Amino acid sequence: MAHSDDLILLVREKIDTRALVAKLKAPEDGAVVVFDGFVRNNFKGQRTLYLEYESYEAMAYAKMREIAAEIHAKFPVHRLAMVHRLGRLEIGETSVVIVVTSAHRAAAFEACRHAIDTLKRVVPIWKKEYFAGGAVWAEGEKAGQEAISRRNESTS
Amino acid sequence: MHWVRHVGGGALEYGFMQIHVLFFGQLREITGVAQEDAELSEGARVDDLFERYGRRFPKLEDFRGSIATSVNQEYADWRTKLASGDEVAFLPPVSGG
Repeated sequence: MAHSDDLILLVREKIDTRALVAKLKAPEDGAVVVFDGFVRNNFKGQRTLYLEYESYEAMAYAKMREIAAEIHAKFPVHRLAMVHRLGRLEIGETSVVIVVTSAHRAAAFEACRHAIDTLKRVVPIWKKEYFAGGAVWAEGEKAGQEAISRRNESTS
Repeated sequence: MHWVRHVGGGALEYGFMQIHVLFFGQLREITGVAQEDAELSEGARVDDLFERYGRRFPKLEDFRGSIATSVNQEYADWRTKLASGDEVAFLPPVSGG
């Protein structure tokens, strides 16, 4: 299970990364690692105007909670925040934030990296990029490959 | 769960299932369907459901290899057998982050 102090959210308003970090930090921590992903102004040489994110929200929440639980099982971390924004985002705006607190730096670094990498493979969220010449859905990864192969292994 | 449908002179036709179907991203744009209910015969699998939509929207077939599916919000194999009331989603490659 995810730690009860974890913060797992899909939001449509701007993400305040500093406020999230302040909310998560506690006196027993000695380290906090933050990944802040924000909207880049270009893709393969084309100037991006803005992005739109959509999600299968019920499943996304379930998968984000699973990732948080896995993080706690694998790494000695204290708390985790995983927040993804949906809807229209402008250049420079934060789309995703991962915050991990722990007693020492190594666990927080590794857990943060694992959280964002897993989120990108498993959580059902889609990004559409808008350019001057039109719009395209981002080339993503086939969803949930990892989850499926893990299940097949356990049944074989 | 299934129910029995009475047809004509007392004959019984077994097993129609009501499935809630969702499409996302590019697949929603191709089908023009974000979500709807579909009726399938008892014993149908996820790929039977997809084939039905493939006949209605031939362009979907081009994406078959890159699509993941879920049943009741958990990633599922194409051969997963469905039950009435299941929620099935067709998920294009994910690109969160």
